[in-house]
Amino acid sequence: MKDIKEILLGIGIAAAVLVTIAFFVLNAGDIELEELFPIGIVIILVFSAMYIMWDRIKNVKRGLPAQDERLKLTNYKACSYGFIVSIWSAVSAPLISGILFDHELEGHYVTAVVVICGGLAFMISYLYLAWKGD
Amino acid sequence: MKTRIKELRARYDLTQEDLAKKVGVRRETILFIEKGKYNPSLKLAHDIAIALQTTIDGLFFFEGEEKQS
Repeated sequence: MKDIKEILLGIGIAAAVLVTIAFFVLNAGDIELEELFPIGIVIILVFSAMYIMWDRIKNVKRGLPAQDERLKLTNYKACSYGFIVSIWSAVSAPLISGILFDHELEGHYVTAVVVICGGLAFMISYLYLAWKGD
Repeated sequence: MKTRIKELRARYDLTQEDLAKKVGVRRETILFIEKGKYNPSLKLAHDIAIALQTTIDGLFFFEGEEKQS
């Protein structure tokens, strides 16, 4: 039952993110190419999360656990990689922007970079470790 | 580390999924243990040994060590 609740919560969050993106795209007017890039990454992250949810549902239907000790370990590892990448991107994004583009990055852009980079690092490492092993 | 899980599964006519259900893990976990890509916890190793009617010593061995029958 706990597994089902977690899966439903995950699907709900993924759907909420997709609806938010749809509202943003519909109301943003002309979207520039550089704005499409982070939206694309977020959509990839949401679909990857939905794939993980689908995989869990498949296991629960077959009478297997949605998550076991190996996947919990994978989750911890992926979380720590995501955290490390988030910290480094928070430090490096303003520096890179200043050095390469001579432009001071605003706070909300740094937040977006941290969330997207951390999320991407988590998802890539989770999928890699889950399917290829340690 | 190597295991005799595959050999013992064949002896008791169990698929990876059957064994996974018996010990309460995902099928991929059994696959990774068989391939030597994942070292299970002591509890899981014990559960697998019980499911395959052997001991932990009889289930896992390091390269160079002789298999226990």
